[in-house]
Amino acid sequence: MKIGIALALTVVLASCEGRQSVLSPAGRDAEVLANLFWWMLGGAVVLWLFVNGLMLYFSRIRRKRHSLRVAQWFIFMCGVVLPTTVLAGLLIFALREMPQQREPGEGLTLRVTGESWWWRVEYWPDGADEPVTTANEIRLPAGSRSEIELAANGVIHSFWIPALGGKTDMIPGRVNRMSLEPTAPGTYRGQCAEFCGLSHAHMALEAVVMAPEEFERWLGAEARDARAPEGAEAKRGKQLFLSQGCGGCHTVRGTPATARVGPDLTHLGGRKSLAAGMLPMDRQSLVGWLSAPESIKPGVNMPGYDHLPPADLQALAAYLEGLT
Amino acid sequence: MVWPNRYSSLWHMIAAPVVWAVHFCAVYGGTALVCARMDAPGLARIGIAAASVVALGLIWWIGRRAWRQWDYASRANRTHGGPRAEDRREFLGHSAWLLAIVSAIGVIFVSLPALFIESCL
Repeated sequence: MKIGIALALTVVLASCEGRQSVLSPAGRDAEVLANLFWWMLGGAVVLWLFVNGLMLYFSRIRRKRHSLRVAQWFIFMCGVVLPTTVLAGLLIFALREMPQQREPGEGLTLRVTGESWWWRVEYWPDGADEPVTTANEIRLPAGSRSEIELAANGVIHSFWIPALGGKTDMIPGRVNRMSLEPTAPGTYRGQCAEFCGLSHAHMALEAVVMAPEEFERWLGAEARDARAPEGAEAKRGKQLFLSQGCGGCHTVRGTPATARVGPDLTHLGGRKSLAAGMLPMDRQSLVGWLSAPESIKPGVNMPGYDHLPPADLQALAAYLEGLT
Repeated sequence: MVWPNRYSSLWHMIAAPVVWAVHFCAVYGGTALVCARMDAPGLARIGIAAASVVALGLIWWIGRRAWRQWDYASRANRTHGGPRAEDRREFLGHSAWLLAIVSAIGVIFVSLPALFIESCL
C-alpha cells in the first residue's frame, strides 16, 4: 500500500519537471505564473486546514452553544472580510503583472500562424522588409522580449509554450499579440491548446531559446537559400522532390519549389523535430512520414508516397535530411 | 410622492446590484468602443473613473436608505423572521444593505484594472 502511494506520488511529481511544464519556468512570464500558482496552492492548503480544523473543533472538541453575536461576527469576518481581502490581494497582484506581460517586444517580431495541423513561423527582425519563413519550431533569444503575432488559417488554435508563458488563442481573421521573455537557454515544447480538429493532439512545436549571439547566427543562416544536395543519393532525392510534385505545396528556397500550402522545408534538416513535434528528425522518421503521413497525423493534407520504391523514399529522405 | 409599496418592493432590495450591472456594461462597452475606435486609453481610464465615482455614490445613497430601513440601531432584538410588515420591511432593508456592500466591492473590482493598465493592449 505504502509503496503504491509512493510510486503514484513519484509518477505525479515527476510530471511536474520537464520541458513542457508550467512548474519548470524558463522565462520571465512563466516565472510569474508559477509563482502565482504556488502562492494560490499554499493559500488553498492553509484555508482547507483552517476550515476543516474549525469544523473539527466546533463539532468534536468544543460542543456547546455559541452566542448569536459571536456567530454573526464570525460569519462577517470569515465570510465577507477575509474573502474580499484575499481576492483583492490576488487581483491587485495579477493586475500589477499584466502590463509587463503585454509589453511590446524589443526588436524581434515573430508571426506564428496556426494551420491544420502545423505552425507557419515568420521572423521579422527589426527593420526587415521581408520575413524569414520556417515552420513547426520557434527560436527566441534569451534575455530579451520578443513580440509574437498570432494568426490562424481556417479554424481556431491556441499557442502555448508552458515553460515560457501563458497561452493565447489564434483566431481566423484577426491577429492576436503576445510577448515572451525567455531567460534560460534550452529546448522546450509547445502544444496547440485549443481543439482544432482530428490531429489537434498531434500539433506540437519545439521552442529553442538561444544565447543572443547564437540566435543572430542561426537567423542569418536560416535566411539563406537551401544548401545544395551532397552525394549521389541526395542529388537524386532533389530530382525526385521536384518531379513528384512536392513543390506544389512546399517551398525550398533556391529551387523551383515555391508553394506556400504546406510547411517551408528550406532548412528542414536543421529542425529538432518532424511533423510538428511528432517525430525525431532522422532518416527513418522521414521515410516513415513520406510513405504514410496519415498513420502519424490522421487527417493530414499531405498524401502518402508509399507507391514509390523504398530506394526513392530513402533518396528523398537523404535530400530532406541534408537541408540543414 | 409616497410610493404605496415603499417597503415591500423587491426593486429597493436589488437597486445596488442593478447599479453594479449598469456600471459593468458601461465600463466594458465604453472601454471596448474607445479603444477600438479612438485608441485613447487615457480617455477610457477617465471614463471608468467617472463611471465608478457615480456608481459608488449611488450605491452609498442606496445603502444608507437600506440601513435606515433595516433599523439596526434602534432594536435590541436583531432578528426579523416574523410574519409581520415590520419584519418584512427590516428583512428587505437588511438584504439591500448587504447587497449594497457586495455591489460596492463589485464596482471597485471592475474598475481596478484601469488603475494598473495604462494601454489599450
